[in-house]
Amino acid sequence: MGLVEFAAAKTLASSAVFLFITVLLIAAARRTATCIALFTAQCLVIMAQIIASAFLYHSSGVLLVAALVLLVKVLAIPYVLLRISRRLKVSQNVSASTTPAQSVFIVAALILLAFAVVQPYARAFALDSEMLAAATAIILTGGFLMVSRKKALMQVIGLLVLENGIFLAAFTTTFGMPLVVEMGIFFDLLIWVLLMGVFIFRIRETFEHVDVSRLRQLRG
Amino acid sequence: MKLAISLIQVLLIVGTAPLLRGVVARIKARIQNRRGASVFRPYADLWKLFRKEDLVPSTASLLFRLCPVILFAATLMAAAFVPVLHVSALLGDRGDFILLVYLLALARFFLVLGAMDGGSSFGGMGASREALVSALAEAPLLLGLIAIAVVSHSASIASIVRWAISRAPFVLSPAHAFACVALVLVTIAETGRVPVDNPSTHLELTMIHEAMVLEYSGPSLALIEWANAIKLNLMLALLVALFVPWGVAATISPVALAIALLCYLLKIALLAVALAALESSVAKLRMYLVPEYLGTACALSVLAVVFTAFTR
Repeated sequence: MGLVEFAAAKTLASSAVFLFITVLLIAAARRTATCIALFTAQCLVIMAQIIASAFLYHSSGVLLVAALVLLVKVLAIPYVLLRISRRLKVSQNVSASTTPAQSVFIVAALILLAFAVVQPYARAFALDSEMLAAATAIILTGGFLMVSRKKALMQVIGLLVLENGIFLAAFTTTFGMPLVVEMGIFFDLLIWVLLMGVFIFRIRETFEHVDVSRLRQLRG
Repeated sequence: MKLAISLIQVLLIVGTAPLLRGVVARIKARIQNRRGASVFRPYADLWKLFRKEDLVPSTASLLFRLCPVILFAATLMAAAFVPVLHVSALLGDRGDFILLVYLLALARFFLVLGAMDGGSSFGGMGASREALVSALAEAPLLLGLIAIAVVSHSASIASIVRWAISRAPFVLSPAHAFACVALVLVTIAETGRVPVDNPSTHLELTMIHEAMVLEYSGPSLALIEWANAIKLNLMLALLVALFVPWGVAATISPVALAIALLCYLLKIALLAVALAALESSVAKLRMYLVPEYLGTACALSVLAVVFTAFTR
């Protein structure tokens, strides 16, 4: 038992760092498949963190949330996204409006901003400032990905990253939302990704590309 | 006793360098479904080259013969900085990480100089590319090391390792993690591995290292190739020493040293597998994308330095 708790404590202490690294690598990634893999890795880190806190605080209900994360975010959503990106038959490039190095610089600045902003709240409510900063940084990065990537699929990934951040923020501040709400959110997310998949296919059929920066006029 | 151990550490890095190369090449061959050459093949290559005649182009000066020797000597000096088995290295306490970085830069400078002295156009092309890569890789390498030095309150590699061992294991600070990723990226660029340069080509317009050593032959070539292998081994050993030093002996006792040797070999073997897997799965970058790649490393290392302010 001592070993499990040791591992759980270490996972909790270092998961924020891993989250920062996944966020920076998503910013540096050049192909959508890499982005999807990194998103999966991010969800895995979050799942490990949930399991670790379930062990540390002896709350087995949280394990159910971890199982949901595994099913929906680690398995189902990446599978659907990979299928979409493979069947779209457009280039794998994320077609960013910033170069990878610039993106990493911007995300680094966002991480620092998150750290600076979060400090007073973390102190006032006695929360783990690193974890809260990680959640905020993930939210900001998700937004940045949606703004700077032109591929429609990357907008989906950006929104999913953003949702990860919101989920993480809720988990660190209030130890997760009620289970019913949590399940509803996961269900929503899954349906949303499926709908976006259909929508991206429609964009491609109509315009023969998935570049959202070129969607400027109506077409019948 | 301490001196003997320090000397053994240097000999270990220098002596196992060709073996590491052979192991990486073998794993790569296995991944590509080939049988591959023996892991001891680089030793045989070196032995063969040392016995051959040293041909010097008629246009070359004395510098051409001198450069491989200086390159090898500087790399050997740099290898004496890295603790492998015991927390103290031969020069680990006397010199700091800045000297280490600039010894590597010195080695590179003379390699470039020798390549240009050879007189072939290929040598000049390789030299200019090498100069570009090293100029861009130096900033992230130095900044990453500075971040670790600030966190550990010491500039010498040996005391950084001593500090890292004294901490509780597996506590990651953001500064450490970012510096680690940045230094891994830099290591790949510095040692000329796949996303930046392909070590297994001999006739390709985009090659960097091979283009520089095209004019060299015999013992000179052997020294250059050996120095290159030592550099790879040294950078990997440095990564291990800075980020996962656990297992390194704090005291001189046969048991602790044996455990340290086992741990070291295991870590380097894991890194070799990772390197081979990376080289087999990633395509080489076009030359003008290399600054992008190193820019990413630079951003990460700057972030690491800034994050030292948040590390308790």
